[in-house]
Amino acid sequence: MSIKNASVDVAVIGGGPAGLAAALAAKEAGADQVLVIERDFELGGILQQCVHDGFGILKFGERLPGPAYMERYIDAVSQRDIKVMVDSMVLELTSDRTLYVASPIEGLVEVRAKAVVLAMGCRERTRSQIWLPGTRPAGIYTAGTVQRYINMEGILPGHKVVILGSGDVGLIMARRLTLIGTEVEGVYEVMSKPGGLTRNIVQCLEDYNIPLYLSHTVIDIHGEKRLTGVTVAKVDADRRPLPGTERFISCDTLVLSVGLIPENELSYDAGVELHPVTGGPVVDECMATSLPGVFAAGNVVAVFDLVDYVSDIGEIAGRAAARYAAGESNDGPAIKLNPGANVNFVLPQVVHPIHLTEPVAFYLRVKESKESANVFVKSGSALIKQVPQIVVRPPEMVSFVLTPTEISRAGNFDLIVSVE
Amino acid sequence: MNDKHTLTCIVCPKSCRLYVENTGSGMQITGYGCKRGLEYANEEIRESRRMLTATVTVRNGNLPRLPVISSAPIPRRLFDACLRELSMVVVKAPVKLGQVIVRDIQKTGVDIVASRSLTKREG
Amino acid sequence: MREDYDVIIVGAGITGCGIARELARYDLKILVVDKEEDVCCGVSKANNGMVHSGYEPKPGTLKAKLNVRGVELYPNWAQELGFKFMQTGSMVAAFNEEEIPALKELLERGKTNGVPGIEIISGDEARKKEPNLNKEIIAVLWTPSAGYVEVQQVVLALAENAVANGVHFLLGAEVTNVMVEDGKVYGVVTTHGPFGSRYVINASGLYADKVAEMAGAREFTIHPRHGTLIIFDKREGKHISCFIGAIPGEFTKGGGPMTTPDGNPLWGPSAIEIPDKENTAVTADEIHQVIEKDLRFIPNFPINTVITYFAGNRPATYTEDFFIEASTKVQGFINVAGIQSPGVASSPAIAEMVLNIMKEFEPLRESPDFNPYRPRFIPFRERTHAEQAELIAQDLRFGHVICRCEHVTEAEIIRAIHGPIPARNLDAIKRRTRAGMGRCQGGFCGPRVTAILARELGVPVTTITKKGLDSELFAESIEKLMPERETIR
Repeated sequence: MSIKNASVDVAVIGGGPAGLAAALAAKEAGADQVLVIERDFELGGILQQCVHDGFGILKFGERLPGPAYMERYIDAVSQRDIKVMVDSMVLELTSDRTLYVASPIEGLVEVRAKAVVLAMGCRERTRSQIWLPGTRPAGIYTAGTVQRYINMEGILPGHKVVILGSGDVGLIMARRLTLIGTEVEGVYEVMSKPGGLTRNIVQCLEDYNIPLYLSHTVIDIHGEKRLTGVTVAKVDADRRPLPGTERFISCDTLVLSVGLIPENELSYDAGVELHPVTGGPVVDECMATSLPGVFAAGNVVAVFDLVDYVSDIGEIAGRAAARYAAGESNDGPAIKLNPGANVNFVLPQVVHPIHLTEPVAFYLRVKESKESANVFVKSGSALIKQVPQIVVRPPEMVSFVLTPTEISRAGNFDLIVSVE
Repeated sequence: MNDKHTLTCIVCPKSCRLYVENTGSGMQITGYGCKRGLEYANEEIRESRRMLTATVTVRNGNLPRLPVISSAPIPRRLFDACLRELSMVVVKAPVKLGQVIVRDIQKTGVDIVASRSLTKREG
Repeated sequence: MREDYDVIIVGAGITGCGIARELARYDLKILVVDKEEDVCCGVSKANNGMVHSGYEPKPGTLKAKLNVRGVELYPNWAQELGFKFMQTGSMVAAFNEEEIPALKELLERGKTNGVPGIEIISGDEARKKEPNLNKEIIAVLWTPSAGYVEVQQVVLALAENAVANGVHFLLGAEVTNVMVEDGKVYGVVTTHGPFGSRYVINASGLYADKVAEMAGAREFTIHPRHGTLIIFDKREGKHISCFIGAIPGEFTKGGGPMTTPDGNPLWGPSAIEIPDKENTAVTADEIHQVIEKDLRFIPNFPINTVITYFAGNRPATYTEDFFIEASTKVQGFINVAGIQSPGVASSPAIAEMVLNIMKEFEPLRESPDFNPYRPRFIPFRERTHAEQAELIAQDLRFGHVICRCEHVTEAEIIRAIHGPIPARNLDAIKRRTRAGMGRCQGGFCGPRVTAILARELGVPVTTITKKGLDSELFAESIEKLMPERETIR
């Protein structure tokens, strides 16, 4: 078998919420050949394993479980003439938009795409990346992997669990593990504030009397073959363990919920410019990356907390990809959006004021919590927009909109976005 | 004798801290930032309810577990009984999203429905 | 008594497998036993894979002799056995004038030991070869003959070639006794029963003293020396192409940054005496030590690209030299002990030496069917796209990528499970295919690999282990759960 060849207008890498929204939008915008390449056995992405509810409040006005949210998109995709490859892995993406795809049905396929949408999502930060000392036994898992085992493979990882990290994934898993009969000894969080939504602290920890230990971390792992326990300790403001606070906890499973990393290996190798803070591509208002014809959407751009936003920017990317494939371009002068006080990052990081016909939604994360805060968008000292917020917290992305008129007031100058 | 405890409202991101005091003449609720918070507090006091999501065993499907969700919030004190009942359920593929898996679980008036469709396993 | 062998080798690390393959050239019935469920799980597991050039051992020691001879034999081994052997040389750095005499001493020692091409070059010359070296390095001892291997690949290649030439492997079987009568060995007892043999070769690493004791042939003691290694992302694999280290004998003992043949930067090892042979825990101190020490050589290296770290124990004897001798107390019992650094480099020469010891006992007849070649199976990830297309045409499962980070396909995992040394657990799959060695450390491929293992072995997935007995990955299948516990405590 020699390499199969295929030519498409829009190739979407990843069949999760961002990818499917992009594919549908691309089709809607007139792209003829739209292909979605998904490495799992079915479409849906990470939401397939998120059996809890809460998805789609903004988009559908409902609190759907993950698979139900995705089924709407999966059904829509099957009703349109969108080509899908599952169990298929993109091995390489070149800078001129050629994809090499390994498929157990089609073989090795070289796909030449007029436009590409990157929608590969995230991977999880590992034990080694947080420099956790100790032995290397069986029984150490990242939260997403445990979620997959429980919810899709039907496997219980262990009987007594310690969870490190109080982000939403960790909190959701604390509840899930408890509901299937595992004992969750506690959730340990190295920061002094919880990493996830307060409603998840209530519904996942307080409801089940699972203790949350802030300013604590795991400092050692025990057990040669299977985990026998961990040592936890309180930490100081610099996250260093305080001597004398060490405590051994007997357990057979350690679940790590210590962060998500946008999965940009393909992007990096193709030459896409990545942002040092988000870990994802630098994008403009069309979700275009620095590589012509390559767009990006979803968690591959930055870690989002609302799938509704992911679907929104998926649509934007898909539409823009279709237009690019049809020969339209978005060149022109660009201005940057830079993070100011209390802003970790804002995206898109770039806008082209001249081409704007519609308002642009921006997304940012703050560094510190604040009540009664305001998002300030300034150009130099001129205030372009002020958007009041009831409360801002690092785990909750803030979204605001700028109209073309508002953006044009910046002229050629970059915008600074701060939250104070 | 006054009995005071706190709860966190989960209706919106503001997450107001609510204070519930059992005065001689009934429940007094303070701390809510809006009407929905007061409603939430009243509901919580009367009977704490949550949506139940879980997975059940599937036979012959393209996945071994079917995710399910309650059609409405269920009293938390009945969770254990509901989970026990669900652990004994076996569903045969194919399944349609929304299909009722258990009707009126534990006499709550709430159904447990499929959170997704599942096809029959191939081959 | 079960099957009778001519030779039983205790230990399936690089030493044991090297000896097995060498002896397989001859008309001998050979059995290799190891208490672990796979080869290369003891001392050989936590190793940086450096094939040292031979300047380090004291002249006149067995280490010195076998190190240099081993390096001579390595290219032939690599060619016959199909493992990657990169001879990119090694460096020892001097940061100031006070360190130059020590460098010169190493140079002399190297020359005495017969190390080819050894010389001292200036810091600038060194930076021409390795531009990322610390500018403060003023001089470097350069040895071009040093090389690098992935030790697991060497051990697997040796073991597979041995199997192809008739050697039996019994893994997961611990030797509990060595049977001796009238001062002559006649077999071993294992947890899988007794086996008879005329020779017992003790290549059991950390437990060589314990096994020798069982035979009544103990003439040494093994004291473990702990070492930690750190592996970084392949994306940073271009920082350095050879090994660079500090002058051994300082407060730091050897070790330094290098890049493996598969392209990962590898730092370490540290060296700490510990009492417990089984202690392979990594401490914060050792991590810190390795980073602090190795960063000196390539100061601009991004250490946040860490992928994993692990530790192992070196089986040091109190003489710090190899102990390779036929026992004078027990006839037929050959000790091959204390094989710490330069054990990997010396391996071909150790095998040769043990063969010569055997030949002193009896004439050995060459086996006419011996095939020294074990061709390397080039992994999917290393193939061109055209070759990948061809592979998938042969077996569609090459088109199903299971490990996203290392592009390992289902076909390769199945191949590992049914190979000459069958992979039965997650680490064994990882060892053969690299599945799980990438950035996500098995987060993505774990569920898939375990499912494939269960399917291919025809066992429930809940019996799949990480590295053998008692390292089960899972507790229970959820459908079998009857929750007894109250969820609301």
